[in-house]
Amino acid sequence: MSARRLESRVAVVTGAGQGVGEGIARRLAQEGATVVVAARRAETGEPVVESIRSAGGQAVCIVTDVSVSESVDACVADTVQQFGRLDVMVHNAFMGGIPHKLEKAQIDKHWTPMSRTGVWASLFCARAAMPHLIASSARSKGEGGGRLILITSPSGVEGSANIPLYSPAKAAQRAIAKSLAREWGEFGITVNCIGPVAGSPALLTAFDRNPALQQAIEARTPLGRVGDITDDIGSVALFLASDDSSFVTGQTIICDGGSFLGL
Amino acid sequence: MSVKVSGGGRLAQVLRDGVHSDTRSAVIVVDLDGENSISSLADLTDADIDEMYEQPMQRVIAAIQEAHSTNCERIVVVVPTTGMSGGASYAPQAALAEAARILVKSAARQWGASGITVNAVAVEPHWFSIDTSISGAVAIAPRSLINEVSPVGIVTWLCSEAAGDITGQTIVCDGGLWM
Repeated sequence: MSARRLESRVAVVTGAGQGVGEGIARRLAQEGATVVVAARRAETGEPVVESIRSAGGQAVCIVTDVSVSESVDACVADTVQQFGRLDVMVHNAFMGGIPHKLEKAQIDKHWTPMSRTGVWASLFCARAAMPHLIASSARSKGEGGGRLILITSPSGVEGSANIPLYSPAKAAQRAIAKSLAREWGEFGITVNCIGPVAGSPALLTAFDRNPALQQAIEARTPLGRVGDITDDIGSVALFLASDDSSFVTGQTIICDGGSFLGL
Repeated sequence: MSVKVSGGGRLAQVLRDGVHSDTRSAVIVVDLDGENSISSLADLTDADIDEMYEQPMQRVIAAIQEAHSTNCERIVVVVPTTGMSGGASYAPQAALAEAARILVKSAARQWGASGITVNAVAVEPHWFSIDTSISGAVAIAPRSLINEVSPVGIVTWLCSEAAGDITGQTIVCDGGLWM
């Protein structure tokens, strides 16, 4: 039996109480990582932790509001205090995405939640994790090392007609990843993005309400379906978190069944 | 017809002096100042993020909304290539540049049916006082052209009647530095 790919590694996954973050947390745990489920509410985070433990994995929930830098700092500090290290930081949490007309968009209602949880929080997570990711790379002696993974969206590349301010927030995350990939290369830390289209609870609910939406998305997707949060999206995160991706940095992997092919 | 150029700095002045159009147009120069670079992300404060990324981005959103409300037919947003390339020590500024560039695509998608075109022009980082020697791939890429590159020509064309079929695009105008 082959060794699990993240044995002895410690990962924080924000927004892991549901959806894509939950799928990533499960997949990393399956491969041996101790996973911190960083969720805004314990009511969503704890069931994910219990589920991971039931499957034989190791996980804890740390309640975290990614829009507040002190909360992110405390999450990372708590992680390192409990487990002695942090090797993989995954920032997935995001709030917002209300459809709007750009000409009528309001900063407080339509922009700030997405900017704060997407862009500011990416910088908060990176800043808090940085010394520990450097230490992770130093421990690995050139094999593997610290990993920062930001969850963006195909909309961050192609724009959005329905949620126009969503796209710039997601685009900014890609620019942060490229910048930090350049800045942290000397430490052996890799920084990458994933742009998923996945069957999150929100999307599946939307499908239930509007089956035509599901048909439209599947019809434009070469692989004919949306991604599974664990097997499809989590596996890409696993690749980026593992030693297999040691020479991949500054990149965005669009994981959407081929729906977007313009990168 | 008129061209309104918003934003500060030398580039905005060059465009104010040089761009003319046969359409009602708005040119938005992102308010990005590379002089404020940080040596390391570890030194980045929340106030820095607000100053380098958040407030300038909110001004871009306000400017593009104003362009729509004043019935502009052509909107051009001017950014440094740093958003596409990334830049060591420039993470918040790169975030601003890329957010503004992709906002262009969203606006183009929403407003295209009204006959409004929205495009981006990406220029050499030095226009925004960004140190190209450390800002990314441009640090190792030879610049293909050696002449002084000005975005006045491409911005003028994107603001013209002739460019009515072009929208949602980014034209890189940097002498072949970033490809």
